Amino acid sequence: MTSFKNPKADQSRFTGIQAQSLLLKSVTTFILAAGAAIIMIPFLYLLSTSVKDRDQLRQSPPPLIPMAADTVNINGQAEPLYHVTVNGQARDMALIKFRPGGKALFVDPANPDQTFELVIADQVPIKHVEIHFENYPKALQQMKFNKLLLNTLLVTFLGMVGMLFSCSLVAYGFSRFRAPWLNVLFILLLSTIMLPSQVRLIPTYVFFNKLGWVDTLLPLIVPQFFANAYDVFLLRQFFMTIPLELDDAAKIDGASPLQTLMYIIIPQARPALVSVAIFHFLYAWNDFYEPLIYLHSPDHWTLAVGLQTFNALYAVNTNYIMAASAVMILPPIILYFLAQKVFTQGVVFTGIKG
Amino acid sequence: MKNKLFKMFALFAMASMILAACGGGAATPAASAEKVKVVIFVGMGTGTDPDQVDAQNKLAEKFNTTHDNIEIEFLIVPHEEYATRYLAMLSGGNAPQLVGPNGVSTVAEFFDTWEDVTSYIKADNLDLSDFYGPAVELNTYPDKNTGLPLGLYPSYLYYNKDLFDAAGLDYPTHDFDDKSWTMDKLREVAMKLTLDKNGRNATDPDFDPANIVQYGYDDSWDGMRGTLADWGAENVGRPTTADYKTAVADSPEWIQGLQWLSDGIWQDHFIGGADVQAGRDSAGVDPFGPGTTGMFYSHTWFLAEGLHDLSFAADIAPFPYNPKGNRIARIDADNFTIPKDAQHKQEAWEVMKWLTSPEVIVDVCRIYGCIPARKSVQAAFLEQLKTDYPGIDYDVIFKSIDYLDKPNNEEWIPEWGKIEDALNNGLSLVYSGTEKDAKKVLTDANAEVQKILDEYWATHK
Amino acid sequence: MNFSSGKRTLSLARREALWAYAFIAPWTIGFLIFTIGPMLASLFFSFTDYNIIDSPRWIGITNYVNLFHDDLFWHALGVTFKFAVIALPLGMVFSYTIAVLLNSKIKGINIWRTLYFLPSVIAGVAVALLWGRIFDPKFGILNPFLEKFGIQGPGWLSDPQWAITALVIMSLWGGGGNVIIYLAGLQGVPTDLYDAAKVDGATGWQRFRYVTLPMTTPVIFYNLVLGLIGTFQYFTEVYVLTNGAGGPARSTLFYNLYLYQNAFKYFHMGYASTMAWVLFIIVLGLTLLIFRSSELWVYYEGQIKGK
Repeated sequence: MTSFKNPKADQSRFTGIQAQSLLLKSVTTFILAAGAAIIMIPFLYLLSTSVKDRDQLRQSPPPLIPMAADTVNINGQAEPLYHVTVNGQARDMALIKFRPGGKALFVDPANPDQTFELVIADQVPIKHVEIHFENYPKALQQMKFNKLLLNTLLVTFLGMVGMLFSCSLVAYGFSRFRAPWLNVLFILLLSTIMLPSQVRLIPTYVFFNKLGWVDTLLPLIVPQFFANAYDVFLLRQFFMTIPLELDDAAKIDGASPLQTLMYIIIPQARPALVSVAIFHFLYAWNDFYEPLIYLHSPDHWTLAVGLQTFNALYAVNTNYIMAASAVMILPPIILYFLAQKVFTQGVVFTGIKG
Repeated sequence: MKNKLFKMFALFAMASMILAACGGGAATPAASAEKVKVVIFVGMGTGTDPDQVDAQNKLAEKFNTTHDNIEIEFLIVPHEEYATRYLAMLSGGNAPQLVGPNGVSTVAEFFDTWEDVTSYIKADNLDLSDFYGPAVELNTYPDKNTGLPLGLYPSYLYYNKDLFDAAGLDYPTHDFDDKSWTMDKLREVAMKLTLDKNGRNATDPDFDPANIVQYGYDDSWDGMRGTLADWGAENVGRPTTADYKTAVADSPEWIQGLQWLSDGIWQDHFIGGADVQAGRDSAGVDPFGPGTTGMFYSHTWFLAEGLHDLSFAADIAPFPYNPKGNRIARIDADNFTIPKDAQHKQEAWEVMKWLTSPEVIVDVCRIYGCIPARKSVQAAFLEQLKTDYPGIDYDVIFKSIDYLDKPNNEEWIPEWGKIEDALNNGLSLVYSGTEKDAKKVLTDANAEVQKILDEYWATHK
Repeated sequence: MNFSSGKRTLSLARREALWAYAFIAPWTIGFLIFTIGPMLASLFFSFTDYNIIDSPRWIGITNYVNLFHDDLFWHALGVTFKFAVIALPLGMVFSYTIAVLLNSKIKGINIWRTLYFLPSVIAGVAVALLWGRIFDPKFGILNPFLEKFGIQGPGWLSDPQWAITALVIMSLWGGGGNVIIYLAGLQGVPTDLYDAAKVDGATGWQRFRYVTLPMTTPVIFYNLVLGLIGTFQYFTEVYVLTNGAGGPARSTLFYNLYLYQNAFKYFHMGYASTMAWVLFIIVLGLTLLIFRSSELWVYYEGQIKGK
């Protein structure tokens, strides 16, 4: 039931707070839109490049919409067509030979024996939109997408499980307890990512080779079950934002540290856990450095390694790389979109009484 | 309840791990029964294209069905990581049996890891006379022979006939004895082929160097040693003396060559600088394909890479004579090599012989785009060339072999990688315009090279 | 009361410590199995002349001495520092600002979030090639666009003066990962704090300054430390874009790239190991500094005092 009691009062309340909030929201939306437009431009070029053929890739500057010259077959050669003005008449003619002085020989396809020497700059090249959707199935088939997808999913999901499991435990240990040397151990944990991995590569490879794990997916999965600095650090930071009083309350209720972790900490840290899971997925999905070293047989490759085969010594098939990359973007994006639900939840109240 | 979930999780995780281990393990059996497995490491040079991979697998089938005691497998390594993977495998004790196709450069890069095949050749009393002399020489070093020659990649000019037509110029001569085809003449022709957006060429006083739309000449797909080898210095393509103790990168001929290049970019504007080259690799584009380069100096392997889907007419012509009155057209060469630390080297040798045998070498070379190093198969190979790349002057390809650079622009010297980077840094100074004085660039680079050599000899011998 | 030794209940502190070690056991075990061996191996190599093919030959601190006399070492360090000093603060401010914007309750916020996240999802090699093409000064995308506004674009990746700037721009574009972390941090700020602040009459800016910012310092700290470690080890993108050369004219010869060249191109694995450990000490030092400083500016709601 609308209120007729004090229309003026309602109005002023609207112009006050709600107007301010509406303004803020509009400005925010505008800035986000502008930013997104800029950010999307490279991505649009990625898509555009993915549907071009080799000849179209050579066009400079690269057009956003893939175009190609109309051609007609003259004496076994495909010659480009132009809108041409000859003797006051407008016709479509093919350019068959270049001549000095910015001119060229043109012929009417219907009457190819009669040539006209005209100034090129005065004529208009005929172009059409040419999109090579077949680049997608071609690229995916050449890189054996299905097989590699399976390998990649295995590595990514198993790694994620192992990582979540181990990193939660370790982060909890580093954030909720006091113990001698714990600080030193934490710095040691962090220091493991301070040493450039290139110098550890060969000793690590030799180790895995001795175990017989080379050319299997194991070197990429098993170490994830033993935590890693990035995710432990992040989870530790998050755990430390959760008030201790909740832990104490649980302790009083007789909960063991493990139960506190499972029933108090983890539910509170859901956004962090989801972030960490997404990161790991992304990292494992796109990582090619480690897989390149350990995975020898092409059948065992992950998608990121397969993508590299288009980046050969003399032939960089940019269009296939972009097409394959575009397809590879889908799973992480879908995952991210689905994970939004957990993100938007947030924490409503600190959970402390008094 | 959550505890149970936890336990289920852990069980599932362990089960998956075991599954992955089994799945991974099962696919790599040891070579079946008595067959010795020869792994061929491909990735140092060409061979990693998906098309090439299929072709190589077919080749492997051909071998495996006709040989009882040896089984070959092509190990494809993405080109970006060939160094790390090769060195990891060496250290890990599972070195591949064969590596290739190796250019002279990667043979040099990993020189100390290769087996000397001289004893194998002697033991088999192998007749090398069918191989091109130069091809064998390129594999023969003072203390080792690195392998049987597979293929050659002579160099020459690829030129865009349409651009010559538009400029009203005669095509470059195909006559190898025409001594009027010099670097000066090349410069003249290239300047006439260089156009700004108004259609003026580089000889025109109103030429606008800020808006060039096409260039007359390009040699950007090679390094310092390759670019300057053709100028006829005493050590040709090698920046050191024969005893590898003195750096000679600042020889008069090298300085002359580099200055010619620098002037070509910054004074006469018929060569594109670093800004023109930038982005080409990212676009997957070569200097010649877009039709904006009049003449491109490159090798036979460019046929496979660049002469497809051209929208203009193209042909090839011999490289010009240098100011000393000699023609040197640098050469690349490929072979397969055997790592010293590999097992089953004898079987690897058998496979090497098979790959370079008259029956098979043409097919192998078609995969990699090289000219077979055997004289007896030239006719058959020529037929293939005519089918694959119609309409060019094949004589230019074969004749150019005779003018190869010796010492080769890619051959081994001590600290090969480090000196390569030092010299190419100098080249990059010129291309980017940071330093246009060739004498300064080469004097500095030479000092760096000498320092590297001195450090090397201080710890060796 | 039985005071004899034997099975006595452990003291509370002791118990707590044991729980701590138990929880971090997955990491310590993994560290001992997978990590410590190769780390110590590389430390050993740094005191040797090791070319991977032959056995390492002990040479004491020669590598370290040579390193300090190596012009390229200082140059590479300089390039890396320059990049870090620009990219790190810029990246953090950028990502944080975007995260704050993405934290609003406007319609379709999920779509905006996904769009800003998208760049960081694309495979590295595709990103490098894309930007290589965009930055192409003559035939690319950025310079023709700038020309429309009358700006003559520089050579970007082909110009020694601008190459680093180009790389910074590229890294900002891919910063979506950091945005997510900040977002998660922002989501974790209890809303009743905002309500309390509003009741006290705080303006939007004051709420940001006194609630949002302090409560998100844990994730800012995280991104700062990892950003430091990351920028100092910047490698993959440069490697792809410059074909491993660090050009033009060594203007993008990052520390890790020079290290890689020494290890796998020049066969100086001992020297490369030395470089690795020198970098390690530098980064460790800087990280410890940041950790020290964190006591002044990082606020944890649930921090245990007195470790």
